[in-house]
Amino acid sequence: MGDILWLMRKTLRTTFRKKGNILLYLVTPLVGIFIALLANGDQGSELTLGVVNHDNKQISMETISFLKGLDNIRVKEIQEEDVKEHVISGKVDSVITFEQGYSESVLTGEPDSLDLTSIKGESVTGFVKSYLYQYIDNLTALSKAAEGELDTFSSLYHDYKQTDFQLNTTALEDSSTSKSMTLSALGFLIMIMMISAANLSEIILAEKANRTYFRLLSTPISARKYIFSNVLVNMMVMLVQVVITLAFLSYVFHIDLNISLWKALLVMAIFSLISVGVSLVIVAFSNSRGAANALTNLIIMPTVMLSGCFWPVEVMPESVQKISEFLPQRWTLDTLTKLQEGSSFGSLYLNILILFAFAAAFFLIAIYKFSRNNSTKSFI
Amino acid sequence: MNILEIQDLTKKFDDFIAVDDMSLAIAEGEIFGFLGSNGAGKSTTINMITGLLRKNKGSIMILGKETSKDSEFVKRHIGLIPQEIAIYEDLTAYENVKFFAGLYGLRGGELHDRTVEALEFVGLTEKQKSYPKTFSGGMKRRLNIACAIAHQPKLIIMDEPTVGIDPQSRKYILQSVHKLNEMGCTIIYTSHYMEEVEEICSRIAIIDHGKIIAEGTKEQLKSLITDSKLIFIEVKSQEAIDVDTIYKIQGVTDVKVDENTVQIHTELGVNNLNQIIDYFIRNQLEIRSLDEKEPNLETVFLTLTGRNLRDS
Repeated sequence: MGDILWLMRKTLRTTFRKKGNILLYLVTPLVGIFIALLANGDQGSELTLGVVNHDNKQISMETISFLKGLDNIRVKEIQEEDVKEHVISGKVDSVITFEQGYSESVLTGEPDSLDLTSIKGESVTGFVKSYLYQYIDNLTALSKAAEGELDTFSSLYHDYKQTDFQLNTTALEDSSTSKSMTLSALGFLIMIMMISAANLSEIILAEKANRTYFRLLSTPISARKYIFSNVLVNMMVMLVQVVITLAFLSYVFHIDLNISLWKALLVMAIFSLISVGVSLVIVAFSNSRGAANALTNLIIMPTVMLSGCFWPVEVMPESVQKISEFLPQRWTLDTLTKLQEGSSFGSLYLNILILFAFAAAFFLIAIYKFSRNNSTKSFI
Repeated sequence: MNILEIQDLTKKFDDFIAVDDMSLAIAEGEIFGFLGSNGAGKSTTINMITGLLRKNKGSIMILGKETSKDSEFVKRHIGLIPQEIAIYEDLTAYENVKFFAGLYGLRGGELHDRTVEALEFVGLTEKQKSYPKTFSGGMKRRLNIACAIAHQPKLIIMDEPTVGIDPQSRKYILQSVHKLNEMGCTIIYTSHYMEEVEEICSRIAIIDHGKIIAEGTKEQLKSLITDSKLIFIEVKSQEAIDVDTIYKIQGVTDVKVDENTVQIHTELGVNNLNQIIDYFIRNQLEIRSLDEKEPNLETVFLTLTGRNLRDS
């Protein structure tokens, strides 16, 4: 084991001595998170509502205090002249302006003098309107019952507020965005992991080209140990990539994975085995680093796209979806999606078995190809 | 005691026999020269000795152990200096030597000391923190050697260690071979440079078509052809040469025509040079140069293999 660690140390040292590799292996996986953030936008659940009150009477005050009491809405009182700037700069999502006469209009049973300003459209105003209109309808009903008398209205409104029934509301969290962001980030990570694995396995080809590989084999190191050390370095780098990506998603960007961290880590760890397997197959079938690069591009990019790493597989034609079922990346994303939907690990044993089968198949093909060699001019 | 014993060694690549039933013994403390043209089976033999290639038949014993059975033990006592420079460009000279020495199980202070010693031996102490990309060809060759000797092997295999370097570095390397030998290392040395082999090797094997066709000290090899000498005659055109007529000249034992050069093997002590020249003049074959060679390693090689080592 000592000599394997010695080999690993050398590979890690020579790999990470180059700053470009630090960027490629440790920073690039985070790009997926930024892409996911850009694609899904800032879809936070709290709205900021600006309020301009020209009315300044009891009913407008009560309406504002009702708005302040709503969940997921933050009310900010602003001046008329600041409306435009606040809306355009995004400091507020929408502005409600209570014009003079609003209270009277409610009291007379014909609510009016209320303006709603927003540039974000129905997705923001719809939510506010649905609450506000219902509240104003209630006020109008009370004013009709009070026949426009302010004192009677105040008394009725007071009773209305003191009603002894209580309605508990529970807001359902919209997890679709965070799920989609997690899958986007992990889809990108899958691509980076495959490229990283191919690059790290290509070290074998580079060392063959500069003849150090054959020198290594003249030492007590066997070809098996050498390849094993490369696989371990590869796995180590990929696990670090997974941990960095998941940690940034969860703890820096506070994106809910909708799966426990260890489950996501486990699925991606199985995928890292597949990546190493694929990379070894590429190396086993290549005579040079150039050939391996060409093969990497030929295999990785199309399969990553077909398997839905960049966009949901459902948007692709049915025939393409069927092809994607033969790709390990598809099964990895499928396992993650099912876990997000609440499936237990146990119920996904078939998915897990399929992932392991992919890894085993790739390793066996690579081992077979490596073992066919009988020349020092080619592989082991 | 023999450090290396090869018995009936055979290696085939499909139908091609690269090494054919080879047997050889090298005693401890020898500097053993391996002479052979490209494709003669030299590198294949070395690759089997160092465990890079599996043999089809025969046995290779190093320090009394069969290489295929006690591979790890055997490899710990071998240092291979490959023909191609096999070092890491992204490690410093010190890191290169330390890394390769570490593969033999050396660690800690011992590893550091051996690394420093090896660098000092090849004269690269001052360059130990530099990367090989800043080195000249000769310095890279020396680093190539340092990487193979830091673990203090008993058997050092040098495969063409002086290819493509300046005379000063070549001299340095040849001196190093002697020094290593004085320190107790047995050395197997292959080279295209006949004079190097002649200068440093205590025993030499000539390998051709996978077989050892001659083996012994320089003197023993030369004695194989002491009864003949070689005459090289370069002519303007070889078209009119009649080999059979030259054969009829007294003392001539063999005639070969290679492009415009005629190689004539003739018995030592027979004065037939005038008759040979007379043949060329009579047949209006314009002689451009004439060279008469007394037995040396090169003529031995030529006589035995029919080829010039450097041209092959």
